[in-house]
Amino acid sequence: MSTPTLLKDQAEKAAPLRPTMRQRLRPTFNGWLMAPGILLLGVLSLFPLVTLIAMSFSRVRLLGGVRLEWVGLNNWARALGDPDLWQGWLLTIVYFIVTLGVEMVLGLSIAILLSKITRGQGPMMVLVLLPMFVAPSIVGLVGRYLTDPTFGLYASIMQRLGFSEDILGNPATAFAAVTLMDVWEWTPLIVLISLAGLSGVNPSMIEAASLDGAGQWKMLRHIILPSITGILLVALLIRSMDAVRYFDIITVTTNGGPADSTKIVPLRLYEAGFRFFDLGYAAVIGLMMLVLTIVIARLFVRMLSGKGKTS
Amino acid sequence: MKNSIPAVPRRRILQFGGVAAGLLSATFLSGCGSTAPTAVPALAPGADPWRRFAGTTINFISENTSPTAAIAANLKPFHELTGITVNIVSLELQALVQRVALDLAGGQAQYDVIYADPYQVLAPYREGLTDLRTFISDPDYPKMVDVSDFIPTQLKAAGQFGKGGEIFALPYDAPTMVWQYRVDIFDKYKERMREELGFDPTPGPDRTWAEYLKIAGWINDNVSEVPYGTGQQAKQHDSLMCDFSNLLWAYGGDYFENGTEVGLYGSVAPGKCLLREPAAIEAAAVYNELIAIAHPGSRGWDWDGVGNALSAGQIAMAPNWHEYAASNEKKMPGLIDYAPLPKGPHRSANIYGGTGIAVSANTNGARRGAAWLFVNWATSPETQLANLKSSVGGGTPTRESVYRLPEVEGASRRPSTLPNMLTATAVNTAWEADYIGLRPKIPMWNECDTALFTELSRMLAGQQNPKEAMTRAADRIDHIVERGWVA
Repeated sequence: MSTPTLLKDQAEKAAPLRPTMRQRLRPTFNGWLMAPGILLLGVLSLFPLVTLIAMSFSRVRLLGGVRLEWVGLNNWARALGDPDLWQGWLLTIVYFIVTLGVEMVLGLSIAILLSKITRGQGPMMVLVLLPMFVAPSIVGLVGRYLTDPTFGLYASIMQRLGFSEDILGNPATAFAAVTLMDVWEWTPLIVLISLAGLSGVNPSMIEAASLDGAGQWKMLRHIILPSITGILLVALLIRSMDAVRYFDIITVTTNGGPADSTKIVPLRLYEAGFRFFDLGYAAVIGLMMLVLTIVIARLFVRMLSGKGKTS
Repeated sequence: MKNSIPAVPRRRILQFGGVAAGLLSATFLSGCGSTAPTAVPALAPGADPWRRFAGTTINFISENTSPTAAIAANLKPFHELTGITVNIVSLELQALVQRVALDLAGGQAQYDVIYADPYQVLAPYREGLTDLRTFISDPDYPKMVDVSDFIPTQLKAAGQFGKGGEIFALPYDAPTMVWQYRVDIFDKYKERMREELGFDPTPGPDRTWAEYLKIAGWINDNVSEVPYGTGQQAKQHDSLMCDFSNLLWAYGGDYFENGTEVGLYGSVAPGKCLLREPAAIEAAAVYNELIAIAHPGSRGWDWDGVGNALSAGQIAMAPNWHEYAASNEKKMPGLIDYAPLPKGPHRSANIYGGTGIAVSANTNGARRGAAWLFVNWATSPETQLANLKSSVGGGTPTRESVYRLPEVEGASRRPSTLPNMLTATAVNTAWEADYIGLRPKIPMWNECDTALFTELSRMLAGQQNPKEAMTRAADRIDHIVERGWVA
């Protein structure tokens, strides 16, 4: 058989395997299995996303039924030129870095201390983890009472230290207070995740390092931390997703004030959407937050997969 | 298996999903809020008009205010009179506004009777409310005690929008800011204050804000019973706007041209903001001075914070809503008295925060009629008197005839069985046209309010001076008004 004939035969055999458009659209067995999940995804994610995008280019009317009036890029131009919104973004980033930084350092430190305790570790764990089980709005209420200038415990301590102002009435202390309230509530999560990581560190490596004369700091830096980097990244990923959406505690305590010092972007989104009913503008802020969340998630996932390849 | 048709690529599935979701969104959005109206059942000849809708259940959404607490505690008389069941949803104001807006958007009338705050519900969503004149003039409904019995400024401010004569809501509560002060402290130190300050410190509309500042400072320095003379509601919140507005009007400033008209009848295009004017800047400067000597908690307090501070003995006086009288009397019996707020170079102004109740335009059939019967009953003189006597507090009446009742008149002096009536003399003055303070009734007020209290908060934090605060607030309000409002 000559070469051209052979090629022709191969082409004829291959021809039926090339699917037509109709065949390509017909769901396979795998497709049918995936269909309920995709449908659910469509209802829960795609439908709101498409609506949100449409809203961001519209003025949304409510009375007489929801209607979208096309306004082009107006909402986007407004958002990009809104200095208060950019100030909100700056605050959000500062808040994000401070809370995550403090929570990670504190959480890891507490986890290491807990892992060293041989007696009474159980009760200590319960005490440390308790704040995590309190609803954020309750944390806000408790925080508000503790910082109340007339009868608050922390306010009283601060007054004795010479700070006579209202903690939640001063821009700097109000920001510090709401940040610390979040740290108080969510550091236990980092402790929990870190403890899980620490329990997986190979004890023979620690023993060997100890025999080689490595001190606590060197062991932490060269053995423990590299061993639990992956799990710490997971903790960071989980907390960062939450930190971007921080809302409850600020709403209950300062409502964004004083002087907008605690008005991070989720509060601005709420305000635009549900106080001013400027839903088109709120949709723009929502989409901006979505992009930020995706960027952060991708960053951590990439770091995680990099870690996976190297280990 | 190798020969099977290749699966549809994931990207393609997502593309189709997106298109489908888009179509679904469009269908959903265009379909929202369309319901066919149902006719109101006719009144049978000779039947009791109050029993016309017996067996109907309606929903009333309200802010968690005193009159609603009193009505919720005693709905039996209404049920016995009409056979109608009322479910009351009582919420914080912001949550209420959200639910009402979404309910009106949905068109399903989940809430038949609506607590219609004039600035956050009535002005922006009046098209979603029924003109109550259709019920008042309908002979098939029980006759209502004359509309002119409502305190005139309240009927206009809380019930109307524009000068077309429509009545969208009937006045239901009437919180108004008055000067609340510790009568024991003023009695004890009155003579010393008079000698050292050079004027009679007795609270009342003849006092000026400048004198109020001096009294507060004097109490800070000389009185041991309380740590501070005054407390203010200067949290970055609606309360800050309310607190400041009293001074703004007293010093001759206003938000817009024809402020009284805009406050009484409302406007969709109020024009240029007047906060750049010298009177407004002077008011802001005085307010800044006031906060500097007030209790340090003032920057974090709203009206509840001030109410608690006064009744906890932290401050000797404060401007606050008069409906705190019942709780003041419970916590400090006989120790707190009330007067109209001090005056400025222009007048004494007492901000009014009253609200009406309305019938949703989307409600229909028997529920529509039942909703009106409830509104009629809840604002009647008998119910307002019962609210006053309620063990859970109760509001103050919005009808003039109730104030003329001997038992109500008698309760305005101690010992009083109706503690909210202790404020009667002060609020009756405050509701007079020359004393009442009305913020602009414009649909976009919520956003203007936020712009103002944010700039004021920045001023109080020392980030800008009064002139910058007022100029920035005016600029922001002008932008908001220029953008307009669509409901």
